[in-house]
Amino acid sequence: MERKLLHTPEGVRDIYNGECTQKLYIQDKIHNILKLYGYTDIQTPSFEFFDIFNKERGSVASQNMFKLFDREGNTLVLRPDMTPAIARCAAKYFEDETDAVRLCYSGNTFINNSRYQGRLKETTQTGCELIGDSSIEADAEMIAILVESVLSSGLTDFQVEVGHIGYFKGLAMKAGLDSDSEAEMRQIIRNKNIFRVGEIIESENIDRNLGEVFYKLPQLFGDVEVLDRAALLADNETSLAAVDHLKKLYELLKAYGVEKYVTFDLGMLSELDYYTGIVFKAYTYDVGEPIASGGRYDKLIGQFGKDKASVGFCITVDLLQQAMNRQKVESECGTRPRLIVYDDSNVTDAIKLAAFFRKSDVPAVLARSASPDDYDKYEDVLFVDKNLLERYGVQ
Amino acid sequence: MRYITFALAKGRLARKAMEILEEIGITCEEMKDEKTRKLIFVNEELKLKFFLAKASDVPTYVEYGAADIGIVGRDTLLEEDRKLYEVYDLGIGKCKMCVCGPESAKALLNGHDLIRVASKYPHIAKDYFYNVKHQTVEIIKLNGSVELAPIVGLSEVIVDIVETGATLRENGLQVLEEVCDLSARVVVNQVSMKMESSRIMDIIDKLRIRDEQRKTEVQ
Repeated sequence: MERKLLHTPEGVRDIYNGECTQKLYIQDKIHNILKLYGYTDIQTPSFEFFDIFNKERGSVASQNMFKLFDREGNTLVLRPDMTPAIARCAAKYFEDETDAVRLCYSGNTFINNSRYQGRLKETTQTGCELIGDSSIEADAEMIAILVESVLSSGLTDFQVEVGHIGYFKGLAMKAGLDSDSEAEMRQIIRNKNIFRVGEIIESENIDRNLGEVFYKLPQLFGDVEVLDRAALLADNETSLAAVDHLKKLYELLKAYGVEKYVTFDLGMLSELDYYTGIVFKAYTYDVGEPIASGGRYDKLIGQFGKDKASVGFCITVDLLQQAMNRQKVESECGTRPRLIVYDDSNVTDAIKLAAFFRKSDVPAVLARSASPDDYDKYEDVLFVDKNLLERYGVQ
Repeated sequence: MRYITFALAKGRLARKAMEILEEIGITCEEMKDEKTRKLIFVNEELKLKFFLAKASDVPTYVEYGAADIGIVGRDTLLEEDRKLYEVYDLGIGKCKMCVCGPESAKALLNGHDLIRVASKYPHIAKDYFYNVKHQTVEIIKLNGSVELAPIVGLSEVIVDIVETGATLRENGLQVLEEVCDLSARVVVNQVSMKMESSRIMDIIDKLRIRDEQRKTEVQ
């Protein structure tokens, strides 16, 4: 027998039994929240033209995408993330829509990581996008949905951290950084590399007060009080507007009742240029990376057509599930089926009984025999006889 | 309270780093026992754990959150290029990453000839030649005694760490170009930084205060 055929390629895996049930359960719970907020489902193809996900639009470097060619020789990629594809759809189908469009999705994404990193190459992303609404209420709705989605899975020990790109932009403008040094500053602040910030302040001759703010930026994170500290530090309009925005956002999140899951980080700067307002990430214990991320990207859809304000997030379901299992979060995964054991004499009765259960939404499994070891897989084990049928009133 | 776990790059760096940590009140008595066979060392009072790992594995442990904080040389960080927060320069183990070779190789670095570069750090070497110097080179990955390569003709130059330069001089090699400065860095897992921010920032602040005190003492 070809035993080696049993393996999957590195980075992909089979998900089965309880794990699969749990995964679908989590996705279902999240989907339910999204539906309650009035989001409608959308599906985009698993592979698209390479350019959709390239550089300014995608979050994944070209060499980390799975590429293939179509018959005409066009380069295609298996989607490495969802947002650019949704943005393309928005530009194509909803360009003339004046009202806000609410879309949600769930699908697998593919990233060709380098070898031996212990990372999955195929993961499931569930998320949503609110398109055509630039209001702060839209920002708040997004974060509230994210908190409620994670809560619905059963995980409670997590936090959503919110930043605003405007704070840094204001500082960079005031300091007169050119685009190269702005990009470098952005990167080192993102990596919280405080001493290197000090070096750049010196080499760029940034004035003392402003330099001090840049220096403190990597540490400007924490509870809502951090916003007051941030407001005291900055003295330019763009930065102050960003802080003000976050303060108002916090008030709205209080109304949603989710504020205890929210913290702030003004040094959170996405590597993606298209984020124009808030950015946020969800963190929890026992997984070394964020389980969800999102933000406002008013400039992305414009790359496919007309600019349209939008905000969205996506949750990496596999990471969420990993965190739940490592934190031993129990999730109820629906009722276990009843096992109906029959023999030659009563097979028709057994079928009738099973049909009766299924009609009343109770899962039922038929089997000619079952080993007692397997009994605990079932809610109940029933051996068919006349009494049993009578008990359930089945003729 | 959860444990905060430190991953330290084995060897001299770990010893020096522990000395500095001790100065700011982070101790681990278990670790001082040189004969121990333990892999994990614990300070129950402060809820801290420590382990030693091969330098190049430290960024991996920290990236995945198996360790919250890592202490490792910048050379390793640049070579491994992991997603983590590089928060502090411990200022120990200072040295430089350099392009070295015989004097005759100097001219080759300014031309457009295809040259061979041997290094334990192929990633750093490639980044320097491709993105800084815009010179096309062939990189040869070695695992030790890199100085041998130009002597026996495996490569024209090498990219390696230079501390004093003594080994180079003894073998008729010299520093031809400097790539970057190196020293030991404190790195933090991205999630730990947020989930345990007060405890981790406290450690970083103490390190910074220690540094400032030393600076004023020197003056």
